[in-house]
Amino acid sequence: MSTDAAAAASAERHGSLLSLEAVVVAFGGLQALGGVDLQVSQGDRLALLGPNGAGKTTLFNVIAGDIKPTSGRVTIKGIDCTELPARFRPRLGVARTYQKTRLFRGLTVEDNLYLAQTGRSGRHLALLRSGVDAEFRDRARAMAETVWLADVVGTTAGDLSHGQQRQLEIGMALVTGPEFVMLDEPASGLSRGERERLVQLLLSLDRDITLLLIEHDMDVALRAAHRVVVMNEGHTVASGTPTEIRVDPLVHAIYLGSEAGLGGADP
Amino acid sequence: MSPTGTASGPARPGWTLRRLLSARNLVVAAATALALLLPLFGSNFFVEFVMTRTMILGIAAATIVFLAAYGGMISLAQYLLAGVAGFMVGNAVVAQDAWSKGLKLGWNPWVAVLFALAVTTAVAFVLGALASRTTGIYFLMITLTYAVIGYYVFGSITPLSGFGGITGIDPPGLFEDHPVRMYLALVVLSVLVYVSFRVLAATPFGLALQGIRDDPVRMASLGFNVSLHRTLAFTLAGFTAGLAGVFNVWWNGQIDPTSISIGPTLDLLIVAVIGGTLSLEGAWLGAFVFVAANNYLRNLPLVDHIGITEARFNTIVGVLVLLIMILSPDGLAGIIERVRKGLHRLFQPPPGPGSTPAEAAAGSP
Repeated sequence: MSTDAAAAASAERHGSLLSLEAVVVAFGGLQALGGVDLQVSQGDRLALLGPNGAGKTTLFNVIAGDIKPTSGRVTIKGIDCTELPARFRPRLGVARTYQKTRLFRGLTVEDNLYLAQTGRSGRHLALLRSGVDAEFRDRARAMAETVWLADVVGTTAGDLSHGQQRQLEIGMALVTGPEFVMLDEPASGLSRGERERLVQLLLSLDRDITLLLIEHDMDVALRAAHRVVVMNEGHTVASGTPTEIRVDPLVHAIYLGSEAGLGGADP
Repeated sequence: MSPTGTASGPARPGWTLRRLLSARNLVVAAATALALLLPLFGSNFFVEFVMTRTMILGIAAATIVFLAAYGGMISLAQYLLAGVAGFMVGNAVVAQDAWSKGLKLGWNPWVAVLFALAVTTAVAFVLGALASRTTGIYFLMITLTYAVIGYYVFGSITPLSGFGGITGIDPPGLFEDHPVRMYLALVVLSVLVYVSFRVLAATPFGLALQGIRDDPVRMASLGFNVSLHRTLAFTLAGFTAGLAGVFNVWWNGQIDPTSISIGPTLDLLIVAVIGGTLSLEGAWLGAFVFVAANNYLRNLPLVDHIGITEARFNTIVGVLVLLIMILSPDGLAGIIERVRKGLHRLFQPPPGPGSTPAEAAAGSP
């Protein structure tokens, strides 16, 4: 409860970071999002839950600018981003990962982490190396250590194991020094031990960093988040603290009830 | 050797001597030395015809390889861009009173080169800006369309191309009547192009280009302007193809629309495929094989005997390309790389089971 109180206090201090107003996304006849409203304050740790096809990743893509909503408004830091292409998001401090890893498979771990930083700085058109590059390189190696990849900084990303690729995926989002991090199923395909490390990493993030998390692993989601929003069929159907969500009967019916092994998530 | 070299040092070694003395660089240096010394012992025909043409095609094919290997774009417009440079040189240098066609501006040949390169670069930028929104097979098709359009544009605008092309295009005095000088200049230019492309690959620009090759969606979400980046790479490749085009028109002394038609366009792609579209060295290797096959294979008695005459040269090249594609999708360079790895394994004792992680761990602080 103390963390929830802290989150609420932080929200009051910083105000709204992300605001979605009546966001609708229709793919032909299929309505993936049917008018979603969402407010995220700075420092929030928000988990999005919901069964497959609930619209979580579509919502992510709208926030990240990969999909333009059919109608509705997306505001980040008070700036209307509805029509703004994805490549302008990093300047607002937004970083994201992908459900299916998207790495530069032909480049080394260090080069991946280096490139992740250059996009925001505008250094990528440079033909000469400079002091900034050395700084980026240092930060890339430091981030490799943070996500437990220090031993493989020189390895080509395509040669990493699945777990290591997921770690690099997160590292590439964090190394940009973001204010708002969006993680799409960071724990998918990870072993129990790797998931535990992931939770520790998420809990160790700077308190001012805002986190939006899609996660099927209830244990990871409910431990890393202060607030949970449950989605179903393109709508947000419930919202509350992890404790409230655990006991919400509606949530059990549409989401938790469908998972036989749920009892294991309770402490 | 090289993988442990990069993994063992957490601090990037930069351009240290040891990195410069890799097997790959030594082979390239030896080939360069051989090419520079060739006029001392090679026949006139071999140097002034076979090898000169090899260098011109090599530079042009290297621009295809550069775009394919680092940018993931297979361009069929490179021969068109070389042709644009050639036509510009032709129109600019031929004198007013010469018995030829075209604009006959009669400019200084070096001014003509600058003009031709400026026009080619501008054309490449515009074509690149349009094509860079596509990837993969669509990029290939758009650039193929460019090649076809280019052929018809030059074919229809006869003031620019003459009816039967522009003839009597003399190279500058430095190269006129000095074919060996032109050959040596092409070797030096080839080395410059090769080194520039490789150095470029390690710059922030080049790394970002490779990132775009691997995952353009991720690059956009990291804040990169993907299509601008692709356009700039295409423009640079166009400029370099223009250099090859300038030498090509000096060497030929003439240019006509047929010389940039679909046939030569595909020949250049074949050169890149023979050499290997993922290896810069392969461009010159492929060019050499193509030119040598073009000049020597048709004279072999056996080839005569089984009835493959000059007109059937395309059959020989076709079979050659097919064989290489089956044996190695990465072309001759890929075959060489595999042989090298095989030999390496043969002479190197197999590494112990724990050696690689141990080395990697030793490198981390």
